[in-house]
Amino acid sequence: MAQEIAMLHDISKCTACRACMVACKQWKNLPADPTPFEGEFQSHSDLSPTTYNLIKMKETYENGQFRWDFLKFQCMHCGDPACAKACPEDALTKLDNGVVSFDYDKCVGCGYCATNCPFGVPKIDKTTNKSTKCDLCEDRIANGMVPSCAQTCTADAILYGTREEMTAIAEKRLEALKKDYPNAQLYGVDQSNGVGGTTMMYVLTDHPSTFGLPESPKVPTSLAIWKDVVQPAGKMMLGATTMAVVGSIITHAMKKEKGGAEGGEDHEQ
Amino acid sequence: MTNHWIDLKNAKVILIEGSNAAENHSMSMKWIMRAKENGAKVIHVDPRYTRTSKIADIYAQIRPGTDIAFLGAIINYILENKLYNEEFVRTHTNALYYTNEDFSFDNGVFSGYDEEEKKYATDSWSYQLNEEGTPIIGTSLDDPQCGFTKLKKFYSRYTFQVASDITGIPVETIKLIADTYVNAGPGTIMYALGMTQHTVGVQNIRSFGVLQLLLGNVGKPGTGINALRGEPNVQGSTDFALLFNYAPGYFNWPNSNQPTLEDWTKKNGTFRRRFFVNLLKAWFGENATPDNDFGYGWLPKKDANKNYSIYRIFETALDNTMKFMYIVGQNPMVTSPNLNLVHEGFCKLDMLVVNDLFMTETASFWEKPGVDPSEIKTEVIFLPAASFLEKEGTLTNSGRLVQWRYTGIKPVGKAKSDLEIFDLIYTKMRDLYKNSTDPKDEIFKRMTWEYPKENTSMADAVLKEINGYDLKTGKLATGISALKDDGSTSSGNWLYAGVYTEEGNHSMRTGNSDPSGLGVFPEFKWCWPGNIKIIYNRASADINGKPFDEKNKYIWWDAAEGRWTGYDIPDVGNINDGPDQPGGRKPFRMTGEGVGRLIANTYHDPDVTYEPLPRDVSSVPADGPLPEFYEPVESPTTNILHPNVAINPCLKYPRIEAKQPIGKKEDFPYVLCTSSIAEHWCAGSVTRNVPWLNELVKETYIEMPVKLADKLSVKNGDRVAVSSARGEIEVKVMVTHRIQPLQINGEEVTVVWMPYNWGYKGLSTAASTNLLTIDAGDPNTWIQETKACLVNIKKA
Repeated sequence: MAQEIAMLHDISKCTACRACMVACKQWKNLPADPTPFEGEFQSHSDLSPTTYNLIKMKETYENGQFRWDFLKFQCMHCGDPACAKACPEDALTKLDNGVVSFDYDKCVGCGYCATNCPFGVPKIDKTTNKSTKCDLCEDRIANGMVPSCAQTCTADAILYGTREEMTAIAEKRLEALKKDYPNAQLYGVDQSNGVGGTTMMYVLTDHPSTFGLPESPKVPTSLAIWKDVVQPAGKMMLGATTMAVVGSIITHAMKKEKGGAEGGEDHEQ
Repeated sequence: MTNHWIDLKNAKVILIEGSNAAENHSMSMKWIMRAKENGAKVIHVDPRYTRTSKIADIYAQIRPGTDIAFLGAIINYILENKLYNEEFVRTHTNALYYTNEDFSFDNGVFSGYDEEEKKYATDSWSYQLNEEGTPIIGTSLDDPQCGFTKLKKFYSRYTFQVASDITGIPVETIKLIADTYVNAGPGTIMYALGMTQHTVGVQNIRSFGVLQLLLGNVGKPGTGINALRGEPNVQGSTDFALLFNYAPGYFNWPNSNQPTLEDWTKKNGTFRRRFFVNLLKAWFGENATPDNDFGYGWLPKKDANKNYSIYRIFETALDNTMKFMYIVGQNPMVTSPNLNLVHEGFCKLDMLVVNDLFMTETASFWEKPGVDPSEIKTEVIFLPAASFLEKEGTLTNSGRLVQWRYTGIKPVGKAKSDLEIFDLIYTKMRDLYKNSTDPKDEIFKRMTWEYPKENTSMADAVLKEINGYDLKTGKLATGISALKDDGSTSSGNWLYAGVYTEEGNHSMRTGNSDPSGLGVFPEFKWCWPGNIKIIYNRASADINGKPFDEKNKYIWWDAAEGRWTGYDIPDVGNINDGPDQPGGRKPFRMTGEGVGRLIANTYHDPDVTYEPLPRDVSSVPADGPLPEFYEPVESPTTNILHPNVAINPCLKYPRIEAKQPIGKKEDFPYVLCTSSIAEHWCAGSVTRNVPWLNELVKETYIEMPVKLADKLSVKNGDRVAVSSARGEIEVKVMVTHRIQPLQINGEEVTVVWMPYNWGYKGLSTAASTNLLTIDAGDPNTWIQETKACLVNIKKA
């Protein structure tokens, strides 16, 4: 089994210089995604088919105290990825090293991955009819290199290494931060959470919802039925047409379920 | 930087003032984060909460242009409570030196002020001398004659309350910063243009000098005063005289009062003469001989009474004196203040040559919106230049590290490297002057200028020339100490002597061992001077050569070996001269008296070999031996320290009354601070042509406090008209809590901020903020006051 890797964003160190955003576009050869300036510091309101990595910026002013939070937002590479479960074409697969890999050729642009992602990450490119998201620079790490965002980070806020190393660093940082930030916590490290932990892990200075992350992300329940029961059964016992009919019923149910950008069902806010 | 980037990790407290390091020098964050992991506290003092403030432990919002008052209060607190490093102050500074009895400071001016000329006679800014002509040094810090007493009296006016009234920082925050900075050590200071772009820019930095000398924060790891220079070789360019008043290596350019080398030496000292001779030898080769002053006479001389800064360049274009301009790697149609004046200057030229990567606003000044190009007679020639990726050569970073850069790709299109362009132009000019008999053209016939034509070998040859040669053997000079004053050696820049020796080009070295663990990396590239990573490191040891701080030791005298040793190259006159000998005694070997100057002084030490010529003539600021607070030219309030001397008394402004109006707070009630941002560099000439940067920050905007936005009834993204006495532009609004209204002298003052990186060319275009800013300049450096001017804002 391949060595399990992880990426760690320590938000207490991030300065939002956004060099990681440029490095991502450069390595992935993605065009700029110009949006009108409406007085916001944050460059884009959300990820897009040409923006796989976004630094979210949030100003808070309470009781005379100002706070500015930055969060690196991208594919979380879940331990139990809803997108891979939802994908009828096996275009998305969880690799042994932790990466949720994307096969461009297999993707038919159905959008089930986007609908079911508890974090609202995948975006469908309307021109190519393909899904898009960060693949943790799969090509770079396969060649022993560091993902371009982590390579570029000036403040050592984005770290990359084995899951074991990253977990150890995260725990050490948490201990150091607890003194000044009583609500500080790790995110995605615990592999028993609703998405099986994430390969994109965070050191947070406050509750996840403060940074727009679901408190308890969860793979939508209907997906388990779809992927673990119906799809294998269908493939074994039924013809493709029947499969599609069953699929559409389940999908209909899946789409009704709460999910996407607003987060998992147990969102505490 | 006195220290260097990696050394930031060794600090226990870091004061970042007048710098948005996280945005504009983001690589510094790597080392600041390591310092923080080791328990360092970060203090950020700036007019608005920025991405740097986000990682700071303490943030203080300061009114632009009031840093001297803030630092003055901290210095006063240190003096009154005896929190200074007494041993360091006694032995390593001029605290005990007797000051001239005529020295005074009253009502906002120092002794020697000439109100008409707006200039100081500096005679009284000197020491009392004994019969041998050396300074009289007292024994007690309480001696009324010694400088320390004068210092204490001077600073006693700067109470926390006074500083708070001036700066807007609450008293308790100033005290918290003072206690944090004084109690943790070693402490380092990082600054950038937020400190320098003021009419008191030099004195702002002098305040840092006083603070660090008092605390002994000099010469050791994690200390010093660190200027964060611009990324594209700003350090290297100033080393090579891209400042109007210098020759390469920071020599004062000869002026009309100095017709001979001896005249120049009287004003600059024999220490610098030696290296200046090496520069003349590099320029004139065999034509430079002791009999002809090494060709000194061929150099054009500045008019001693004139100023040649960029502001005067445009102003002399306006009065038809300046006819031709050649602009390389600069885009003043975006970056210069009072842009309408700049534009008028361009329109008056006969010819403008622009040597740049892109057709900048400067190259296209005739395309300025609202201008009819048919009415502009200036001929414009554009020379496409190769980018840093397309040419070889060195780049010097803020830590003085000289690093060789290799060619990544061949130049695009017809672009050429700057070296090739200069070579082609110079050789053609030399050809055109070859039959001239005019004495002013002699320089073209006498200068040595033969370089290989291909870029890589040309850059190699130039670096060798910069390093210098032993002209007797033809071998490359081994370092500064090998340079002679008799014309037998050459060096194009004495500071760089040693960068390229017979052992090879040291700017290419990649040795990555760090024996001390302090981030010295002695074999990675090469830094000036002499690969000394922390300059003034002699001051890390006491007068006997023993480290002040055994836990943070750096350089010391090894009596058994009979030499200075440690983790860096010792910054001493002679490595084998012990602490009791001339070459090993001075903590600060460059000044005449060999100690750090708390109070600047005109002292010149005599040179026994060249009597009566002085050995060293260190410069003294034109506007005072101590940093005094003066309001910006355009100020929202009175100067509470001396209302009748509100602004810098040495400032001459306006220079052209009709073109340089001064706005009053009644018409322009808000303070505008301007700066660059992480995503766009300077004029944006390069960065605004990178779509990936344009999508991050899209256009010029104005950041304003919520309270002002409410008053103007504007919200995020609304358009406002911003006007100053000099111009008006329309921009969108960013409403934020990151700037709060300040309480200044009992009244509310509102500060707004704008980035200055845009113009009308390139892929991202927007209004230029510098149409608003003021072109008043510091009396020493002539840097402009772009950090503080007054504006009015109306909903558009």
